[in-house]
Amino acid sequence: MATVYEGMFLLDNQVVREDWKKAKSIITDALKKHGAKVVCARRFDERRLAYPIRRRRRATYCLAFYEMGSEGQTALRRDLELNENILRYLMLAREKLPEGELELAAAEDAADFNVPTPPPDDAPDAPSGGRRRDGADPLGSDELGEPRLDVRDGDPEEVDLAGKDE
Amino acid sequence: MGTMRRPPPPPISGKNCDDPVLDYKDTENLRRFLSAHGQLLSRKRTGYCTQCQKQLKQAVKRARHLALLPFVG
Repeated sequence: MATVYEGMFLLDNQVVREDWKKAKSIITDALKKHGAKVVCARRFDERRLAYPIRRRRRATYCLAFYEMGSEGQTALRRDLELNENILRYLMLAREKLPEGELELAAAEDAADFNVPTPPPDDAPDAPSGGRRRDGADPLGSDELGEPRLDVRDGDPEEVDLAGKDE
Repeated sequence: MGTMRRPPPPPISGKNCDDPVLDYKDTENLRRFLSAHGQLLSRKRTGYCTQCQKQLKQAVKRARHLALLPFVG
């Protein structure tokens, strides 16, 4: 029996800079290869990562909804792990497709939709007007807006939980 | 004579948790429940019931996994 899954994929910005449709097809092709029926896939956001992953400090999030049985899951996860363009992924079973997702995905597929080119890897995020009580920058920036990620550059892979928690 | 104790701050979620929708993608909302070090606040501070606090924990962990939120450190 096919279940609706929600997949969030973290794509390398270098692939996105070349062509967004090509980057999206990396995900959709991998899903289709393992028998999934892709309902919709869209660009969720491009943002600065809370911690570096494979030395990347920025990446593009792609949100996809697909129907799939349980038999291809292991092979799909293995393929995603091996793919160098997918930095990280999270797949969750959903009861149904959230409202508005199809419209958002359709808007992206429209001819006049322009995907902005990702900024350089060291570009800081625009201030989001965060709602933290202490007023501190949640991503660890100092007063100059420069990221302080150098203190955690040791081993970005040390907390890799990819595909293990679900 | 007893010592003066500062009254506890009001819970972040309000008086009742009222079955919140906690999504890992909604990082702005999740950040309200994190300390300055990125640690999840206690149930006493968030004001959530056991079930909602578990949902919150799960959402924060998913967001951390996708580098939407920082790990504790």
